Amino acid sequence: MEYVASMLVLVGLYIILASSFNLIIGFGGLISIAHPIFFALGAYTVGVLSVQYGVNPFLSVVAGFFVALVASFALSLPSLRISGDYLLITSIGFQLGLLEIIKNLDFVGGASGLGGIPNVVSGQRNLVFAGVSLGLALVVVLAVRALVRGPYGRAIKAMRDDELAFLALGRNAMNIKIAIFALGSGMAGVAGGLYAYYYQYVTPDQFQILQSAMILTMVVVGGMGSVLGPVVGAVLLLLLPEAITFLNLPSAIMGPLQGVIFTALVILFLFLRPQGLIAPAKPTLGGH
Amino acid sequence: MLMTQATPSMSATSAPILDIKGVCKRFGGVVVADKIDLEIRGGEILGLIGPNGAGKTSLFNLISGVVAADAGSIVLGGQSLLGLPLYRRARIGVARTWQHMRLFGSLTVLENMLVAPSHYPGESLLRLILSPAAVRRAEAETRERAHVILKRMKLDALADANVNDITFGQQKLVGLARALMSNGPVLLLDEPMAGVEGVAYETMRDIVREEAASGRAVCVVEHNVSFIRDLCNSAVFMAQGRILERGDVATLLESKVLAELYFGH
Repeated sequence: MEYVASMLVLVGLYIILASSFNLIIGFGGLISIAHPIFFALGAYTVGVLSVQYGVNPFLSVVAGFFVALVASFALSLPSLRISGDYLLITSIGFQLGLLEIIKNLDFVGGASGLGGIPNVVSGQRNLVFAGVSLGLALVVVLAVRALVRGPYGRAIKAMRDDELAFLALGRNAMNIKIAIFALGSGMAGVAGGLYAYYYQYVTPDQFQILQSAMILTMVVVGGMGSVLGPVVGAVLLLLLPEAITFLNLPSAIMGPLQGVIFTALVILFLFLRPQGLIAPAKPTLGGH
Repeated sequence: MLMTQATPSMSATSAPILDIKGVCKRFGGVVVADKIDLEIRGGEILGLIGPNGAGKTSLFNLISGVVAADAGSIVLGGQSLLGLPLYRRARIGVARTWQHMRLFGSLTVLENMLVAPSHYPGESLLRLILSPAAVRRAEAETRERAHVILKRMKLDALADANVNDITFGQQKLVGLARALMSNGPVLLLDEPMAGVEGVAYETMRDIVREEAASGRAVCVVEHNVSFIRDLCNSAVFMAQGRILERGDVATLLESKVLAELYFGH
C-alpha cells in the first residue's frame, strides 16, 4: 500500500508537470526545454522558506508558484520579443545556467543539495501526500481545461494556427504567450514545492535537462494539445519503468534503457501517431 | 484611438481616411515601394492593379504593419500608423484579408469570426479573472455580430463547420467575413476573387459594395479585371513599387502603359 501511495505521489507530480508543459508546448506552441528549472525553483523556494524561515507549508508552495512564474518572465520576455524560435535556444541556456548558479549558492546547499526540509505530515505520510498530489493534479488539469476553452482558449488556438493573421486581427499574441508561459511555469513550481515537502531533500541533480525529455515524452505520447493526454502520458510513463524492473536487468542497463525507451517512444509517436494516444477535440460539421 | 463603426455619413468626397505619403521600402536591392502617395476616402472602392511583383501586396503589408516602412507617412483618421505593431494598427482600424486566406484551421467558421472583433476582452487573462461578466457580455455581443455577418454572406448554415471542411469559395468568403468583424474604417482586400466564381463571386461583390456604401474605405488588389470594372470607383496602376497612373477604372484599363506592362502588348 505504501508503495502504491508513493507511486501515486509521483503520478500526481508528473501529471502537474506534463499538463503544465502541455499548456506551454501543446496549446501555446512555445518550444522550451526549461520546464525542470521551474520545477526546481518551486522546490528550492519551499526548501529555503521552510528550512531557513519556518514559513507555513501552504504559503511556501504558493511562494514556489510565484517565484517560478516571475522567473519565467526573465526567459520569455527577451526571447519572445525577438522571435518564438529564440525561446528554445535561450531556454537551454536558462536551464543549464540557473542550475549551475544553484550548484554554487551556499545558502541553498550548493551541489550537495538542501536537506532538513521539515516533515509536515504525521502518520500515513504517503497516503496524505498521494491525496494532496492527486488533488493538486486535478486542480491543474481543470485549470488548463478552463483556460483552453472559451474565448481565451480560442485565442490560443488561433495564435498557434497562424500568428500573423492573429496579429492582423488586433490580437496581442505576445501577452498571451507570456501569460501561458508564466502560468505553465508557475504550475511546475507548485509541483516542485510538493516534491520538496515529500522528499524533504532537494539537489540540483533532480532537475537536470533530462527531466525535460521525460516530461516531453509524457506530453507527446499522451497527446499534445489535449487536456487529458498528459494525464495518460504521465501514468503510462511512470508505470513503464516499473514494468521493466520485473525483467530483473542489471542496474547499469536499467537507467540507459529507460532513456532509450523514452526517446524511441517520442520518435515512434511523432511518426506514427503525432496526435498522441488522446487526440485533441477537432471541430466537425454539425449543429450547436 | 479610432474605433468607430464606419458610418453612412462618410462619403467618397470627404477627407481621406487613409493618407499615405512618400512611403518607401526596399529589401536589399529590391524596391517594393518607391515614394508611394495614396489617399483613400470613406465610401471609395479603390482598385490596385499591376503585374506580379508590382508591390501591391507589399503596400498592404506596409499599411497593416506586417513590414515597417523605411520612409514616409501612413495616417489613418488623423493618427500616424508608423512605428506601431501589426495588432495596434488593426485595433486602430486597418482590417485586411490575405491572398491565401490564412484562416485558423483548427477552428470552426464561427470561431474564426469570434476571435476577430476590434475589442476582444477574452484575450486578457486578467480581465477573464477580474471581470468575467464583462467578458461574457462582450462574447455574447460578438457572437450576435458574427451571426449577422455570416447570414449576410449566406454562410450561417456553415457556422459550426471546420474551415478546412468548406469549399474554396466559402473559405474566401469567411476570410472577408472575418475582416468585417473589425469596426475599422479601412478594409484592405488582397485578391478576394482569385479562384472564386458563381454565387460566391456575387456575394463577395455585393458585400464589398455594401461595406463601401456604409462608409468604409475599401482598397482591393485584384487581377480579375472584370471584378475591378464591376466594383471600383477608381484604380491605381502599380509597377516596380511605383504608382504609375491613377484614375477612373475605364480610363485606366484603356491606358497604353497598363496594356504594355500588364498584358505585355
